[in-house]
Amino acid sequence: MNAYLALARASLARQFRYRGANLAGLITNFFFGVIRVSVMVALYNANPAAAPAGYDLAKAVTYLACAQAIIGWVALWGWWDLVRALKGGEVVADLQRPIDFFGLWAAQDFGRAIAQLFLRAIPIMLAFALVYPLVGPADIGQLLIFILSFALAWFLSFTWRFLFSILGFWVTDGTGFARLAIFSATFFTGFLMPLSLFPDALAGVLRWLPFAGMVATPLDVFSNALRGPEALVAVAVQAFWALALYALAQATFTAGVRRLTTQGG
Amino acid sequence: MTQPIIALENLTKTFRVALKPEGRSLPWARTWKTVTAVDAISLAIGRGEVVGYLGPNGAGKSTTIKMMTGILTPTAGTLRVAGRVPWRERRQHVAGIGVVFGQRNTLWWDLPVQESLDLLRHVYRVPPARFAENLTRFRALLDLDEFRFKPARDLSLGQLMRANLAAALMHDPGLLFLDEPTIGLDVVAKDRIRAFIREINRERGVTVLLTTHDLSDIEQLCERVIVIDHGRTRYDGALSELVERYGGDRALQVDFADDYAEVAVEGATLESREGRRAVFRFGRGVTAAALIGRLSERYTLADLTVREPDIEDTLRRMY
Repeated sequence: MNAYLALARASLARQFRYRGANLAGLITNFFFGVIRVSVMVALYNANPAAAPAGYDLAKAVTYLACAQAIIGWVALWGWWDLVRALKGGEVVADLQRPIDFFGLWAAQDFGRAIAQLFLRAIPIMLAFALVYPLVGPADIGQLLIFILSFALAWFLSFTWRFLFSILGFWVTDGTGFARLAIFSATFFTGFLMPLSLFPDALAGVLRWLPFAGMVATPLDVFSNALRGPEALVAVAVQAFWALALYALAQATFTAGVRRLTTQGG
Repeated sequence: MTQPIIALENLTKTFRVALKPEGRSLPWARTWKTVTAVDAISLAIGRGEVVGYLGPNGAGKSTTIKMMTGILTPTAGTLRVAGRVPWRERRQHVAGIGVVFGQRNTLWWDLPVQESLDLLRHVYRVPPARFAENLTRFRALLDLDEFRFKPARDLSLGQLMRANLAAALMHDPGLLFLDEPTIGLDVVAKDRIRAFIREINRERGVTVLLTTHDLSDIEQLCERVIVIDHGRTRYDGALSELVERYGGDRALQVDFADDYAEVAVEGATLESREGRRAVFRFGRGVTAAALIGRLSERYTLADLTVREPDIEDTLRRMY
């Protein structure tokens, strides 16, 4: 078996051992979702005319349910594994393995994400579907675009987390950078609110940044807010940023290792 | 020595360290000082040797080892390990070495040891048959079955070191770096680890470079020792010769059969006296036999003991 596959599989299995943490996460994500959806419903009922054309309540509710479901998949709010490994010096052991460092961590994070798909994303979507009328991808083409977009969202989020974590090569404690990154991810990804509800100018800018691809794009594709060519363009933007961030991550890593090897840990 | 597996020539490593600004100055104003951790060390280690690498804390041992394992780049000089420049070909290099740092775990913390070993099989692309063979051997030598299915976090320190040793050798490296492998272990655990190191060296011809502060490790494992201090080589040679050359004086303890007012002997100095017991120190120029002869001519002796200086004393004198 391929090393990356083996690493992903071990990491996936490991996630299933933390039953309590998984259950707690699931419940938290679900109930916060209920609050967010309730607020959205109240807003729509209070002023139906203020809603953007074509963006109905069902889409908005679906978007928010998905936003809660995707938390475990992209892990943008609280992923400290690599920050800790750098702070504690365990990274040296990783560097002494004959394997690509980014690949080593990506494989393990992919296993984690797959586990979270089953432990959190799917149960949350099912629970919301019982309580609220949700919409889903309109046809098979839309579904395929969604799957692609959803996969890219993981890759983008991982690459972003990898990037800010390895700033720990330059500072003793990378926790500060990580907090800043979490903060920015919350606002720019469209996690708080659908980008369609942002002012047009702001939404226009955000759609071209790498962050939208981590949360907003797959959610808009799922809820059919982005369709056909529009959806494909959004996925192309994701793919572009995936490549760009990957190149940046590898370059930063190389520089970080050079610093480590010349200046010591 | 045929083609050495490790060859260092004038290997040097300096670090730039920030000094605390003195007096009142801007918080970002820093002055830098260059510290030489390793200062032009040259040495060669042949295949199959077990070499003890000694020196006081801060002597540059770990820095040298980190350069050999590819974690640090030298500032000057050359370094080849198995014909490779470690930091330049890091991935190929690390595939051929094993590394164990005492007190540091390299296994997946929350995975059972066996699963970590399985993962390493994939990471190092060990052929399944070879992996099975190694596993069987290490299970016997390190008694892995005692904890093989427990996660690393649940192991005692001794078990953790045994697991890490197995992990470091699963891919059949020709070279094993051990940085204080017995630190913090009890006597039994230490013995077990030493026996294992001896065994894999004998059985597989694995070259071992070992740093330690426990001199029993050295006495039991190494024929050759390299002593460094302040980044420079102080000694490189046989362990027995180290004590002979730097060991300083031997001691002769004499129990007299009578109470003598004064005891003295040519060629030795009296170090201490208590009742009928006296301790003399004598240098390399005199033999114990000659001293004993002279003493017995003059006094009636009840008992004699000759004490060789031990490595610890020897090193204390060197540092």
